[in-house]
Amino acid sequence: MTTKKRILLIDDDKDFLYATKIILEKGGYEVFLAEDGKTGVEMWKSVAPDLAIIDMMMETWGEGFSVLSKIRATDTGKDTPLFILSAVDLQGPYNAFEPPPEFPRVNAVLHKPVKAEDLLRYIARELG
Amino acid sequence: MMTTQKPLILIIDDEEALRDGCRQALEKAGYAVLTVGEGIEGIKIARETKPAIAFVDLKMPRISGMEVIEILYRDIPDIVLIMITGYATIVSAVEAMQKGAYDYLPKPFSPDQLRAVAKRGMDHHNLKIETKKLREEKERMEKTFITFVSHEMRSPLVVIRQYIEALNAIAGDRFDKDVQDIIERCGSRIQDLEKMIEHWLDISRIGKGTFGLKKAPLSLTHIIKRSTEEMAPFLIEKGIVLETDVPEKLPETSGDEESLIRVFINIIGNAVKYTPEKGRITISAEGDKGRVTVSISDTGTGIPSDKLPFIFEPFFRVRGKEERDRGSGLGLTFCKKIMEVHGGEIEAVSKEGEGTTFLLKFPAQGQPGQ
Repeated sequence: MTTKKRILLIDDDKDFLYATKIILEKGGYEVFLAEDGKTGVEMWKSVAPDLAIIDMMMETWGEGFSVLSKIRATDTGKDTPLFILSAVDLQGPYNAFEPPPEFPRVNAVLHKPVKAEDLLRYIARELG
Repeated sequence: MMTTQKPLILIIDDEEALRDGCRQALEKAGYAVLTVGEGIEGIKIARETKPAIAFVDLKMPRISGMEVIEILYRDIPDIVLIMITGYATIVSAVEAMQKGAYDYLPKPFSPDQLRAVAKRGMDHHNLKIETKKLREEKERMEKTFITFVSHEMRSPLVVIRQYIEALNAIAGDRFDKDVQDIIERCGSRIQDLEKMIEHWLDISRIGKGTFGLKKAPLSLTHIIKRSTEEMAPFLIEKGIVLETDVPEKLPETSGDEESLIRVFINIIGNAVKYTPEKGRITISAEGDKGRVTVSISDTGTGIPSDKLPFIFEPFFRVRGKEERDRGSGLGLTFCKKIMEVHGGEIEAVSKEGEGTTFLLKFPAQGQPGQ
């Protein structure tokens, strides 16, 4: 039996974590949850997941960005696929989040709520 | 501002004895006092030191007290101006008040009178500052409120929809058709609520001037084309015929293309909603001097004449609780606000059972065809 791929989910909304975990487990992944950025970065190092999904809108707007940068800066984080989650609200109308050019590389931008099939399709594209 | 700092009063008067008398009386009452014998210098000092109160003598050489009052009132928003005058007439007092003076003090006056007027002026000054602070605080709170609502109200809805996704992922294939229906309906009602919040936020943003409107030259012909393209699938679905009579060149207008497309989509969407299958929607446009008028007509159910005046009001609904009447209740309010920001107008004429026509009027530059 092949081992399950591991996904780290970082979001400060417990319910969002739980709901998304269900979808990911149904998709056959092993899921690790972090409720804040600091825990997220620590778990990244201890768990060494195959992919991480990071919410941009934790606590302050910058936190997701700083988590993403810290993860990308680690040895294992250089090439691991990283997704970010965003909600359109704070940017005003039509301005769904697009990472600016100086952003660390992001493999996919997902908008909340994420459709189960979209989420699993994006992940499958990265993890094969 | 430091609390230990004494409130500053400036005396502008050409009479030296009066200046010294005022200084002594006011310093005794705990004020810091600056004096100057002439208007131009007085204005200069007032601009530099921003006193809480300025006493200004009406009759001075070079520049009159009336002019000084006018300039200080314009330049220093929170200053309280009090006119000193030797020949207090009602006429000059009224004129000074009109120019921005708060009070006047007729010569001769006693130190007590001076202090009483200064105290009243100071109270007024503090009130002005307080009012300004409160107004700024209110504006700040309104802005924060929009941000707060957008995040705090939408988050739970997002989570509920995520749970519905999760529910379907776990057991979707095991649900009976009627259970699936219920779940789907829940999802769609939540989506409606999200839309309502979004529209409401848009409208608040327009009101606060924080809605990201661009001001660029634009072609209404192009906007109509893009909007109808976007709505084409819904028209086809109901077998509705779309006729457009829009000139290739209309007088140029300016504004925000994306929000105007939303206006058109809204109006066309309503037309589709209330027009029976195989009906017809007609869009025409014409430009004349300084104006472009776009008309969007349908052969739908129409709006009763007693309801027509209220259709642009937020949350107003023409009909009952039928499924197709569901919506944010803010669509037309949004359209009206956007048209207003563009310096335009929106109107509706309707006859029950025959159809409705929306007229969108835009200000335009130049002549038709240019």
